[in-house]
Amino acid sequence: MNGENTFQKNYEALISRELLAAWVEGFKENFRLIGPAGGKGEAEFREVFSFNEINLDYQSTMLPPGKTFLLKPVEEILSFNITPGGPVAEEPPLPDRKRILFGVHACDTHAILYLDKVFLGVFPDPFYRARRENTFIFSLNCKTVSGLCFCHLVGTGPFLKAQSGYDVLLTDMGSEFLVELKSVRAKKIFSLEGRPPEGRDLEKKKELELELLKNFRKDFKADGLREVFLSRPDHPVLKETAEGRCLSCGNCVMVCPTCFCHDIYDEAGVSLARIKRMRRWDACQDYFFAKVHGGNFREERQARLRQFVFHKLDYEGQFGVKGTVGCGRCIRWCPTGIDLTEIAKEMMK
Amino acid sequence: MPFFSGEKRKPRAGFFKFSCCTGCGFELAYFQRSLEDTLKSFDFTFFRLAYSSGALEGPFDLALVEGTVTEPHQAVELKRIRENSAVLYAVGSCAIAGGIPAIKAGGRELEIEKRVYQKKLYRLTSMRPSVLSDYVKVDGCVRGCPPGRRDLEEALVSILLHRRPEFIEYSVCVECKLRGNICLLVDEGLPCMGPVTNAGCGALCPACHRACYSCFGLMSRANIPALKNKFRELGLSGEEIERRFTLFDALRLKK
Amino acid sequence: MKNPYVPFKAVIRGIGQEAGDVKTFLLEPESGFPPGAPGQFNMVGYPGVGEAPVSLSRVPMEDSDLFEHTIRAVGRVTDFLSTFREGDEIFLRGPFGRGWPLNEVKGKHLVLVSGGLGLAPIRPVVQIADKLKARRITLLHGARDPGSVIFKTEFRHWRKKGIDVELTVDEPGKGWRYHTGIVTEIIRRLKIAPAEAVAFICGPEIMMRFAANELFLKDVPGSSVYVSPERRMRCGMGLCGHCQHGVWFVCKDGPVFSYRELRGYPDALF
Ligand SMILES: Cc1cc2nc3c(=O)[nH]c(=O)nc-3n(C[C@H](O)[C@H](O)[C@H](O)COP(=O)(O)OP(=O)(O)OC[C@H]3O[C@@H](n4cnc5c(N)ncnc54)[C@H](O)[C@@H]3O)c2cc1C
Ligand code: SF4
Ligand code: SF4
Ligand code: SF4
Ligand code: SF4
Repeated sequence: MNGENTFQKNYEALISRELLAAWVEGFKENFRLIGPAGGKGEAEFREVFSFNEINLDYQSTMLPPGKTFLLKPVEEILSFNITPGGPVAEEPPLPDRKRILFGVHACDTHAILYLDKVFLGVFPDPFYRARRENTFIFSLNCKTVSGLCFCHLVGTGPFLKAQSGYDVLLTDMGSEFLVELKSVRAKKIFSLEGRPPEGRDLEKKKELELELLKNFRKDFKADGLREVFLSRPDHPVLKETAEGRCLSCGNCVMVCPTCFCHDIYDEAGVSLARIKRMRRWDACQDYFFAKVHGGNFREERQARLRQFVFHKLDYEGQFGVKGTVGCGRCIRWCPTGIDLTEIAKEMMK
Repeated sequence: MPFFSGEKRKPRAGFFKFSCCTGCGFELAYFQRSLEDTLKSFDFTFFRLAYSSGALEGPFDLALVEGTVTEPHQAVELKRIRENSAVLYAVGSCAIAGGIPAIKAGGRELEIEKRVYQKKLYRLTSMRPSVLSDYVKVDGCVRGCPPGRRDLEEALVSILLHRRPEFIEYSVCVECKLRGNICLLVDEGLPCMGPVTNAGCGALCPACHRACYSCFGLMSRANIPALKNKFRELGLSGEEIERRFTLFDALRLKK
Repeated sequence: MKNPYVPFKAVIRGIGQEAGDVKTFLLEPESGFPPGAPGQFNMVGYPGVGEAPVSLSRVPMEDSDLFEHTIRAVGRVTDFLSTFREGDEIFLRGPFGRGWPLNEVKGKHLVLVSGGLGLAPIRPVVQIADKLKARRITLLHGARDPGSVIFKTEFRHWRKKGIDVELTVDEPGKGWRYHTGIVTEIIRRLKIAPAEAVAFICGPEIMMRFAANELFLKDVPGSSVYVSPERRMRCGMGLCGHCQHGVWFVCKDGPVFSYRELRGYPDALF
């Protein structure tokens, strides 16, 4: 199916599930394929070796695809060889495997765009950048919504509206898939064969989206939080939730697709032959996160919970967009079900 | 001073044991790839599991101490170790939080003796258990039952590098997520102690589909009432909940 | 692409003992290390130990690439560095951050306020005072007690440069000839024309707040009062997230902020 279209290159096409499978299988030769697969109950993003392993109907995953595969949970960023003349820095090689991150939902695609703002800004991170450049993102419009999703309120879903920053967009249209090549590089190297979409297909896509929009259950006003948050940073709901329910376990921020915080620390073996400088996802819910010699800027549990809620729902001035993409993971995986949208609603009352 | 610049004398180390299962000592003796390096880098002048002889007197650059203090003579010995050691780390939950030997702290000494030994044993000198820090200054805690490799290594490296150690201080959940385990507490309603337990094990139990039972002890500033509440919602009885929280932390929680 | 985590080396060319646990290291960096400006900082450290943000307490000048760091031993990295001797090498990355807004002080009355080690990042401003073309410079420095005053031997020299230096301590000992009490009291007595004043403040957060409030009472606007808060930092580049304060990354958007920029966000005294 990688054949050439002699007359006109297709950037959009409707193809059957079988043809989609064959199309994707064709990439395996040059790309490592990562997609949502099986799992007990929950799908998880992992390397797959055949298209059949991919669960196209998955609803969500515990760990987000972008953060997991572009900013690894734990990674070596530098090492030092200990020589008689002193430690000598050695740079680990940059990742260069070509990969396809397949089936990334709209919210998670937006999360990657957010991570880009963090890691490709004034100080680009070489590891993130190398992975990002070598990873083709195949986004997938959602088919179902969960009771915790609120992407519709923050403009990140359920259908992907962003026009760049990813490579391919897939929509399950029932009997066929709508495949849209979005990036310049995708248009250059992938060729598509299939029926070009007509007006009624696009009409149908719109209908599918409208249908989905009816299923959302979360509602809160995402705009206007600014004033409320800053005028009442000590709203009692924060203290009550923090003291009554928050375990400071960090699960919320670990599963959040836009939480980028990490710790940097050195690992030395007893032989002291080589020292590794590592980074690992860190959690602002952890007591020591903001500790300095003179004190702790988030000594109280409520201050830590507030940092999470405000950073996700407010502080748009930081990167020009909200921190949240509405995936609902932090709510789903909080052991006590703390829900940032409920906190916001309470504060807005 | 940079650590590689020629210091020739190996640091003298001792490994000491009070009431416990000796698991921490075994962990060090079975230090896999690192054992050889450890013995090369340190002069273990006292380590009963590795060498049958050894001088108890010191002085030591590093004292690693496992076990709970449950007998009067142990307290005396501990103080002597402290006086003769530049750095003393408590190793394992018994030494840090009381661990298994401190389960008895919840009851009356005599009643427990009777229950355990049936008839009166006149030579029994066991007393109320205490953690090391009740008697001496402790410079750091190598948590675990037995400790994780990372913190054990950190303890040794801190001496070799002449710098403060940085032991892991965050929840097991963080490690659990780094490992990608599907959460047992959320997904299956198992009473997992991960959210309040200090990490270091690499979320070993959750990875084997077992709820964490807090063998590394509570992390500092854990929200204990909040997790107890959650367990109550899951249908655990008061006693079941109490047991989960005092299995390794009886002493700390009683305070 | 260059790995921005790779540190440069610098050789210690001199060590000065400032106070009990505070030392000043004169450093000669390997070539290629960019010169820093007053208010900027380096991530200073050693392999196997870690890194910590430390302000430049003296900046390189035309005649010398050497710069200084003044470090108080309070933790893992700083304790370790405090044992270093002349000739030893340390590792650093930087310089990072936005320093003091030096081009705002021309023709103005520059009020420098520092508490404790907060004098370290203020010192380079004094160092290049001649170039600033300020109308007047006043330095107010507060410390716990006479023994913990840093850069003691330099004040005389600074006064010769024409800078008004006022020292104060909380607990004066025998023979202390200067003020007693907190710096805010000296600010209160200071004659300031509010429209012409620019203030740079560095010290413990509570001190920065009181000092700023004192200036506000004199009608100095929040946009003319600059502070340099301390936060935990791991990377220095706005990536690790530890130093976040509201929308800001203290490392890359700061560490110097106008009071107005910081005001209103929780978790600080501003
Ligand atoms: C922009 C900037 C400029 C600075 N300039 C200077 C300067 O010029 N000179 C200077 O001396 N300092 C300066 N600092 C402060 C310095 O960076 C901090 O003091 C830094 O923390 C020192 O690092 P450390 O590794 O030595 O201390 P750390 O080991 O990080 O310890 C710092 C404090 O936190 C506590 N702590 C940390 N982790 C834990 C834990 N897990 N459990 C309990 N306690 C813990 C320690 O007890 C200690 O009190 C500056 C900071 C900033 C942000
Ligand atoms: S997951 Fe829930 S309990 Fe844990 S830190 Fe986050 S909000 Fe608190
Ligand atoms: S919520 Fe916390 S962990 Fe997440 S990005 Fe913000 S500060 Fe970092
Ligand atoms: S804050 Fe919660 S809902 Fe928002 S993106 Fe993060 S995990 Fe998803
Ligand atoms: S399984 Fe246990 S340790 Fe793992 S995230 Fe869930 S509660 Fe935490």
